[in-house]
Amino acid sequence: MRELRSGILFFALAVLALWESVRAGLGTLREPGSGFLSFCAGSVLLILSAVLLCRGWKRSDSLPAHSRRVILAVLALLAYSLALEFVGFLPATFLLIAVLLEIGEARRWWAQAVMSALITLLVYLVFGLLLHVHFPKGFWRM
Amino acid sequence: METLQNLAHGFSIFLQPMNLFYGFLGVLMGTLVGVLPGLGPAAAIALLLPTTFYAPKVGSFIMLAGIFYGAMYGGSTTSILVNIPGETASVITCLDGYQMSQKGRAGPALGIAAFGSFIAGTFGVLGLMLFAPTLADWALQLGPPEHFSLAVMSLTLVTYVSRGSIIRSLVMACVGVIMSTVGMDPFTTRTRFTFGLPALLDGFEIVYVAMGLFGMSEVLVNLQRAIKSETVNTQIRSLLPTLQDWKDSAKPVARGTVIGFFLGIIPGFGGVVPTFLSYALEKKLSKHPEKFGTGTIEAVAGPESANNAGASGSFIPLLSLGIPTGPSMALLLGALMIFGVQPGPLLISSQPDLFWGVVASMYVGNAMLLILNLPLIGVWVQILKAPYSILYVLIVILCQIGAYSINNRVSDVLLINLFGIVGYYMKRYEYEGAPLILGLVLGGMLENALRRALMFSYGNPAIFITRPISALFLLTALVLLFFPLLTGKKIGEKAIEMQDN
Repeated sequence: MRELRSGILFFALAVLALWESVRAGLGTLREPGSGFLSFCAGSVLLILSAVLLCRGWKRSDSLPAHSRRVILAVLALLAYSLALEFVGFLPATFLLIAVLLEIGEARRWWAQAVMSALITLLVYLVFGLLLHVHFPKGFWRM
Repeated sequence: METLQNLAHGFSIFLQPMNLFYGFLGVLMGTLVGVLPGLGPAAAIALLLPTTFYAPKVGSFIMLAGIFYGAMYGGSTTSILVNIPGETASVITCLDGYQMSQKGRAGPALGIAAFGSFIAGTFGVLGLMLFAPTLADWALQLGPPEHFSLAVMSLTLVTYVSRGSIIRSLVMACVGVIMSTVGMDPFTTRTRFTFGLPALLDGFEIVYVAMGLFGMSEVLVNLQRAIKSETVNTQIRSLLPTLQDWKDSAKPVARGTVIGFFLGIIPGFGGVVPTFLSYALEKKLSKHPEKFGTGTIEAVAGPESANNAGASGSFIPLLSLGIPTGPSMALLLGALMIFGVQPGPLLISSQPDLFWGVVASMYVGNAMLLILNLPLIGVWVQILKAPYSILYVLIVILCQIGAYSINNRVSDVLLINLFGIVGYYMKRYEYEGAPLILGLVLGGMLENALRRALMFSYGNPAIFITRPISALFLLTALVLLFFPLLTGKKIGEKAIEMQDN
């Protein structure tokens, strides 16, 4: 299962690398082009992924299911990445920390909110004020 | 004499109050990272790298180097007290260190680990100071064909010693090399693999790739496993080893130092491998090999010395050749590039403040670590009790801010999270991150050297095998690749199996 699935993925990646390398230009041996190295690496990857596919075809192994905590954390992180610009650093980070704290350990809601606010404030003081990182302010300019 | 003058110059740089502060901060963070399971030195360096964008380059590099060798000290604490290695180089210390702690001898175990590390670390820096400039002088004679072959050999070595199948490690190295070509071609300024996305125009930044693959993915894996904070019940009395302990440990410390230092220089062999070899050697040379695994001090002294000597040794190829020996060194190489320093044989002569400042910082840093790890052991034990449910949130937030602050771009935050998910899947599908990072870092050097060498030889690829040093590097790479195919086993596979168990 592991080798078959990853073999398919790397085979597709190798094909993409070869296609893009040809598009970028392979050049000649005397004057190698922009796609020369990626073409060489893509060719090796194609062979290796074929070996993975062959091995994976014969083997069968199972994978443990994803835990609910991992799925929730991944969703929260992706939502944070997409909303950060629009919502702004302070509210988005406060919400992300609150969700992550809840995923890590269930506590009373106000305890999560206070801890989340404290951590947000701390990182803002260190990075925003001390190290002058310009965080996105979002639509309400916070 | 010249070396001593240079060293004195290094001390004059390091003893400036700010550099001293950065050095202390580095070893402090390193010890913290070493103590905390689930956060390795590579992740910590990646995590703190963005904070150094606002600091001077010498101080920043001193701090990042301190994190790396400091983690080697701290890793033994959890191995001895709770049977969980703080980082991979301390895996073997669990066997006898924890047994000593169970017998009420946690103090001498922690003591010999710290003293052994101090002795090995100091000798390692001495070796770095003597060998690195010589190697850099020699490397000045190397041309593009040798640089290409050296990069190929380093990549092969790293894939070779990675855990699991060599094919999977090679796959990761190839992916890393392909990723290194994303963005603008430095020869023609033509764009490649960007697919019209502006975020990919500058290529992949090593900082967010490493933070994603090592920091974020580790958090996700730990969430899957549901890590709990540790309960430490061990009473620590005297930290000073007895005279008999010293007698038993003197030779293992010396042997561990030699093994660790020389293996640390070879790409891929630093970190775990020297500790297992030192353990195996001590067991073989011992009059009572049956006692190994039941709490013998030699089994703690040897490997702990080996991993610290290896940490110093791995700075040699980095600072004299621009070749990283593992993921942490790859990040330090990335840091040098971010600071505008060109890694390679000219680094020592063109950046004497940086090289000699770091060497001096490592001498003092080792002494700082001794103080941090012995009298302050109680503080680290308290930190071990910190709930992971809060710790992981801090790691995640630091990763997000770190990624954003590289270019003040929200798209980098998305990329770090995507690499975190990729890293999680890599662990799930048993693929190692180290070959990918090495491929990404060495890809630039590989491409530059390959294209220059071919242009230089008017398109004749024989240039790579007609020049003796280049041929030797390529032959080593070939032997390493085909050895497992002929024998069915990799050198050091037993050590890796032991680590997995």
